[in-house]
Amino acid sequence: MGLFVFLPLVLPLTAWPVARLAESRLHPRTATRLLSAGAGVLAVCSTLCLGLLMIVGTAQLPGNPLPDAWSDPEVRAALPYDEVAGRAAIPALLAVLVSCGVAAWRQLRARRRAEAALAGLPETSVTVLPDGTPYAYALPGRRRGRAVVSTGMLTALTSRERRALFAHERAHLAGRHHRHLTTVHLAARANPFLRPLRTAVAYTAERWADEEAAAAVGSRRCVARAIGTAALLAPPTTTPLLPAVTGAGPVPRRVAALLRPAPQSRTWPPLFTAVGLAAWTAAFGTTASALSSANSAVALFLTLRAATPM
Amino acid sequence: MKDRSGDGTGPSPSRRGQGKLEAHVLSVLKGAPEPVPVAWVQERLGGDLAYTTVITILTRLHGKGAVERERAGRSFVWTAVADEAGLAALRMRKVLDAEADRQAVLASFVTALSENDERLLRELLAAEPESPDLSAPPSSPEEDR
Repeated sequence: MGLFVFLPLVLPLTAWPVARLAESRLHPRTATRLLSAGAGVLAVCSTLCLGLLMIVGTAQLPGNPLPDAWSDPEVRAALPYDEVAGRAAIPALLAVLVSCGVAAWRQLRARRRAEAALAGLPETSVTVLPDGTPYAYALPGRRRGRAVVSTGMLTALTSRERRALFAHERAHLAGRHHRHLTTVHLAARANPFLRPLRTAVAYTAERWADEEAAAAVGSRRCVARAIGTAALLAPPTTTPLLPAVTGAGPVPRRVAALLRPAPQSRTWPPLFTAVGLAAWTAAFGTTASALSSANSAVALFLTLRAATPM
Repeated sequence: MKDRSGDGTGPSPSRRGQGKLEAHVLSVLKGAPEPVPVAWVQERLGGDLAYTTVITILTRLHGKGAVERERAGRSFVWTAVADEAGLAALRMRKVLDAEADRQAVLASFVTALSENDERLLRELLAAEPESPDLSAPPSSPEEDR
């Protein structure tokens, strides 16, 4: 398998340019689908290769349960820097598995708790809760999910803005955006290089719902106003997440995007633009990642089968 | 039924059932003409709940601020102060406060603003005239794919 086994660990870097450009240059639906699919594939390949490295590393440990022949020189020769890489892969893979497990469990728990909180109420598509604190969430469910909105939020909005808000939440639920969000969330835990994709998809999924809401209520400004009013209801965070460096946060960027004309919906950007090149780079990186992890898996399988006495 | 505090950390398959039970007890208590003892609630719940279970549920509701109690002799009498939607709101707030990792599950309509964001947002909205807008998007979302 040679050096190929290391490639999928760093190939997520090829998705950075498109994660940066997709937010502003692609239709949010295209961006969300492209980035989350890429993140999923890259994360799976990276984890698979960590697993392969770990097999080689574990076989060399004294007292391991694997067949003795798996630490033969031929097997070790299949992997460059076998001692360091093999051993380092063991804690790395464990960290990835624990981190993903914890994240998945937490998400499941949050969803269960939110469902339990609403138990006993009729299963309507919109649930209004008497609470002065303004909030609005899309809570995905097994069948269709529901939008949960507080009276504090509703009283602050005009009736058109309310329609925009409901359309936005319905778009999240109908488009099953939480699947994309979960994918990038777990992917970012599997390989830290995928974190920019998580940030990007968290933004593009909101933009996607904004665009659908704008189409549903027939007014981009109305959605922009709803977002602006809702965001200004809550007091600003006193401690900025990253002072000054980050520039405008997601909410002002969403509003600004809605005050511009609607983005063109294309499935794939033209090649000879910055975003087109970035998208092709990411596609190339993802393909290379899939090929090299498949190549490494097959190579290791064949080597181990040859080494194992029948 | 085991007593489980409302903020128990383990995921429980019966949590949803518990939530329904709480809502049911609250709706029964809501129908009481005056502060009532536990036995009154138990009677109207239709039988198969133990006295201690009803006390547990009422205590939990009290912890959430959905019912009030006052001493009458050696025991308490209970009054509902929230309806089912109010109880759900109280529970939901607890979930929202507790789950730091909720972003991927519960997509919030808006996220918190920094001070810089707030200034930017006010500028954006102020620059926008109140006039009725005619900017319907040129393409419908179904066209793609």
